[in-house]
Amino acid sequence: MTSRFHYDLIALVIFAVVIAFGVPALMNYDGFELNTFARYLALAIVSAALALSWGTAGLLNLGQAATFGMGSYAMAMHLKLRASDGLPDFMGWNNVPELPLFWVPFESLAFTLLAGLLVPAFIGGLIAIFMFRARIAGVFVAIITLAFLVAFQLLVINQQGQTGGQNGLTGLAQLTLPGWTVDPYSMGFYYLVAGCLTVALAIGVYLTHSKFGLILRAIREDADRTRFFGYNVATYQTAIFCISAALAGWAGMLYTMVLEFASPTYMGVSFSLAIVIWCAVGGRESVIAAAFGAIVVNLLEGRLSDVFVEGWHLMLGVIFVLVVMFMPRGIYGLLTDIGARLRGPNRRQSPAKARPSPTQHLETGQEP
Amino acid sequence: MQQLQVTDLQVEFGGLRAVDNLSFSVGEGEILCLLGPNGAGKSTTLDLICGKTQPTGGSIQLNGTEISQMLEFRRARLGIGRKFQVPSVYKDLTVAENLSLARSKRPGVWSALTRLALTDAREACEILERVHLSDRRDELAGNLSHGETQWLEIAMLIVQDSKLILMDEPTAGMTIQETERTAEIFRTLSASHTLIVVEHDMSFVRTVADRILVMNRGAMLAEGTIAEIEANDDVKTAYLGH
Repeated sequence: MTSRFHYDLIALVIFAVVIAFGVPALMNYDGFELNTFARYLALAIVSAALALSWGTAGLLNLGQAATFGMGSYAMAMHLKLRASDGLPDFMGWNNVPELPLFWVPFESLAFTLLAGLLVPAFIGGLIAIFMFRARIAGVFVAIITLAFLVAFQLLVINQQGQTGGQNGLTGLAQLTLPGWTVDPYSMGFYYLVAGCLTVALAIGVYLTHSKFGLILRAIREDADRTRFFGYNVATYQTAIFCISAALAGWAGMLYTMVLEFASPTYMGVSFSLAIVIWCAVGGRESVIAAAFGAIVVNLLEGRLSDVFVEGWHLMLGVIFVLVVMFMPRGIYGLLTDIGARLRGPNRRQSPAKARPSPTQHLETGQEP
Repeated sequence: MQQLQVTDLQVEFGGLRAVDNLSFSVGEGEILCLLGPNGAGKSTTLDLICGKTQPTGGSIQLNGTEISQMLEFRRARLGIGRKFQVPSVYKDLTVAENLSLARSKRPGVWSALTRLALTDAREACEILERVHLSDRRDELAGNLSHGETQWLEIAMLIVQDSKLILMDEPTAGMTIQETERTAEIFRTLSASHTLIVVEHDMSFVRTVADRILVMNRGAMLAEGTIAEIEANDDVKTAYLGH
């Protein structure tokens, strides 16, 4: 047990209490407001997932939205089948005579939930094995994952008969669990998403403080050195990629339930880059901070994009540039630096400047 | 049987033979020192043994197993540890975390997932007494002085508990007292470990070496005890250039 582990556990408990009790009270238990906030919480999971691969292992995955989209479509396919009598409507419009084979198992809820986690993990793992066995690192990881994202989105859009194409999957049923029809505007649904986020963050906190997390941090700093201690670096990198992809898929499933549709824009480049921004603003070294970053940026977006419809994206860009320049470790870095200063000037702490900036390994092509 | 058997080892870098038909062996518990002028191929030889560089010819056998084509981490699992010339500790990790990392008896993902980061540090931290770092346990390794960094890396190798340890200039930048202490640590280590040490400090070599191998331009020039080497005319020529 280290003190940092204690701080993270305390932060996790505070975070869980605030989203479980504080937020609903602030929102006056209003169904519409809570649905909006549940959306932020679902996005917080995917931001935390990116913090695991990017912050802990130094692997900037720009294709995180692809795995998010897989989870989202898995849930949407299940809910679409529930809403349809036989063939989903869009298939009829596209002259698809019968249900494609890969749709059939999504009749089952258990299969859907498993697929929403395991399909992203499997696809993420395949890409990871290909990249990391060849010892691809730094900016090339970002390029390959980005290319995959674009290709995957194109595939989904082009297979209109099977995927709904540009329109996505709309007109979904509400999820029915045994004895509970999940209404996305209900308190119960909000707690479902909040509970999922808390569990996901607990997994993330444990992983970063396990020996697995320690080895990943070592790989981030010096992958070659780590091999000489007998660790198979590619296996570790692949493992964190799979875990991160599964968490993203989980977030995607919840997201579909919040918005009641799935769209190919969930697999878009701009969405994927937005995840990077949330993660950077919160602080990529901590999963809790990354989740917090997602909530803060999305709250801002919700409020500001009403006022500045056109200018909002420009503002988001400016925020990102400012964070990278002046707070390279995000809100988390700011807090730990303040904490270190409060504990006294005599304590030796790593100066913030010695820390790598989030884009440093992009510029040099080296891991920080 | 010898623990490490190197036969006709060679490597070329763009036409330059960095190591040229080198053959030698090391017995268990022995301390072999590699000497030679700059560019003689000493560090390259260590790189070839630990897998940092792939040989263009020859064989390396560890306890009879051919390892010259294995990936680095497999060689490490077979019991080869390496200390680099430039101290290679993890500057962003604490001293305890560095040691926990070096304790890699179970290097697989599953066992790493079921242990906390510092579970392995508890047993590993006893070693800090021996290298005078026990009060720096929670310090970031990046804040250590050069000598302390050297010792941390040596401590990491002891904790890693490899049967064969390759040390590249372990006393570079150390004070005389620190060097003496390092020699003492090496002598205790050799009871249960085999060491190959690249070193320039002759008084250190005199204290620790069981056997010395002198290299020049990638090839072996002389081999023997310290007295034999000091009396060897070829060695004098190579060093003084006459």
